[in-house]
Amino acid sequence: MSRSVSTWSYRPGEWLAIFGAATTLLLPESEKQRAAQLWELVDGGAGFDATLDQVLAPGLSVLPAFVLIGTGEGPTKVIVRGAGVLASLTTDVETVELDGSTVTTWVERSLEGVTALSVSVGGAGADGPDHLIEGGLVRVARIDLPPYAAPGDLEPLAPGSGTDEAATELFSLEESSPLDDEADTSSVSHPGLDPMPDDPATQDGQDHDDADVVWAADAPAVSPMAPPPPFAGAPDPTPVSGDHDGMTRGGGFEDEVGPTPPGIPGQPQAPSITRPVATLVISGGESVEVDRVVLIGRAPEARRFTADEQPRLVTVPSPLHEISSTHIEVRPGSGVDHGSAVVTDLGSTNGTVLVQPGLDPEELQRGVAVQLIPGAIISLGDGVTIQVMNP
Amino acid sequence: MRGRSGEIGTCGEQAGQPLVRPATQLVGERPETTRRRHPSYAIGTVHAVVPRVTGVELHHGAASDVGLVREVNEDAFLVAPPVFVVADGMGGHDRGDIAAAIVVEEFRRLADEGYDPARGPAVVAATLLACQARIADYDAGQRAQGARDFHAGTTAVVALLIEQSGEPKWLLANLGDSRVYKFNHGRLEQVSVDHSLVQELLDAGTITRSDAAVHPERHVITRALGGSGSTEADFFVLPLSAAERLVLCSDGVSGMIDDRTIEGILAAADDPRDAADQVVAAAVAAGGRDNATAVVVDVVGLVAETPYDSERQRVSLEKKLGALP
Repeated sequence: MSRSVSTWSYRPGEWLAIFGAATTLLLPESEKQRAAQLWELVDGGAGFDATLDQVLAPGLSVLPAFVLIGTGEGPTKVIVRGAGVLASLTTDVETVELDGSTVTTWVERSLEGVTALSVSVGGAGADGPDHLIEGGLVRVARIDLPPYAAPGDLEPLAPGSGTDEAATELFSLEESSPLDDEADTSSVSHPGLDPMPDDPATQDGQDHDDADVVWAADAPAVSPMAPPPPFAGAPDPTPVSGDHDGMTRGGGFEDEVGPTPPGIPGQPQAPSITRPVATLVISGGESVEVDRVVLIGRAPEARRFTADEQPRLVTVPSPLHEISSTHIEVRPGSGVDHGSAVVTDLGSTNGTVLVQPGLDPEELQRGVAVQLIPGAIISLGDGVTIQVMNP
Repeated sequence: MRGRSGEIGTCGEQAGQPLVRPATQLVGERPETTRRRHPSYAIGTVHAVVPRVTGVELHHGAASDVGLVREVNEDAFLVAPPVFVVADGMGGHDRGDIAAAIVVEEFRRLADEGYDPARGPAVVAATLLACQARIADYDAGQRAQGARDFHAGTTAVVALLIEQSGEPKWLLANLGDSRVYKFNHGRLEQVSVDHSLVQELLDAGTITRSDAAVHPERHVITRALGGSGSTEADFFVLPLSAAERLVLCSDGVSGMIDDRTIEGILAAADDPRDAADQVVAAAVAAGGRDNATAVVVDVVGLVAETPYDSERQRVSLEKKLGALP
């Protein structure tokens, strides 16, 4: 993990909180599907503005409440919307309280030198115990940065007696009671995630439902491929039954179907534009940053992207036509490849050879993404090579 | 009813519901039924705009036909080089023709006022948002007059020239099941991916392509302008060399004749006006169960001096129609 990660604490509740590298987003419990869609963006390290764009994409009127926090470079930014939504920012000189119920749109503050940040969204669980989290999607009633540590309510955060036991127990699959929760059939629970704090409420295994972990990941130790976020309705293709006109009626099918994720079917969706994970130096001398999908070929075409994640098209000379029109794709990796660039041969006619440092040359298989190590050389044909460097 | 093949009078019945057509009676402003047997040529008229994307000579043709079953043509198209649009309005009783016309108007404004060719996707996304807002306003106005649950809607497929790294390129965008194809070296290839239920089933491997053509839900689309569904378009960028010819069409074409038929017509018709005409005529001849619209755009070449010559196209068209000797 090359990125710096903030450790928050959260109290289990009803709202959905997505903790990313640069932003943290809280949505009401009714916004489960939206949270699933935004998880990939936020988890991919998207910045404050990019996340806000996507949060507001369906319109402000359909989102009664939310909280967006930017903890990336520069001042800390907080947006609060909705009744009962409170945020508190503390700096060395002042404490600022934001109340989302006082306005019809939202309250925004941007502050330098924030030393403590707390958001509470009310609802059940407001007095519950606090857990640590670095990244992931959980249900919360309150979040704190740095982790909440009030006298009398203090959780033993350091590994202590029983910690390992509690963590193992909480995440063992057979005990994974969040999966039994009918309201949460799409929940995913994983072994080997962030160590959970020693929590008396969960230690005995009686109160797993309260923990209500939807999906928490991003610990360096995670090795299995990250599953995609739950995508409500995708397996249920009966959105506008009987409506052969394809008309969008009443509540609309958005709530039931969700848009098809763009990109190559069967592959995880590319994260949107992030900070560069690698620089490609092409043999002609051109240098290209991999902060989004990069398509390289003789006359590359970009297929099926959204308005705000336009791929970079890089044309390379190929007088002998050994290079296909859209030969390879290089993009920031997702899931286990997060933080690295991955290369995929897009079905080129003459193939692609990859030489990774210390490894034998390998021929890329069509459609199979391979993680790139700095120093790797990609050879397309017609003498065109691409060197992979650190950004 | 929506201008969709074979659906007239059946959509409500299949759902076990009575066929509801409240808007016509309530609003009473459906225009006189127009039924054109001969598709109209669209003559290129606007070409002096968007000076920043110059040097690309485009020839185009367009045709639209109400079909043999529908009473109203709810398709609309725009040919305002370098901007081309086909929109397929949905739900006749909810005035899909208005929604489609709004899309054409908004993109015509884009063509007239010019746009920044370096910001293509943002420009198109903003224009689609403007369409969505105007359709929502129209809906609200209709509801205020008593039309309950009023929702006009439309698909949109757009092609326009942009610049990337100093090179002119095609930017394509689609919402719904109107399509854009590219035709190069005699081969037709669908570029856009339908936002439809059957496409999702295809992607999921649940059904095969031949199942899709006869699937009972093949007209259900999953994204559109209007209504509350997703209005996020898919975008595509093609180098000009990748497409000697582009074809934008409504599903009244692609649902009536298969891609091989379209490919054969395009290969045989050198003039894009003939190509558009014949594609639409073939769709009507194949049953004409829906409004059929096609726009065909040829990239003639990269020329430095003479921009697109609409005058020449008009003269040659009038000759063709016998208006000139």
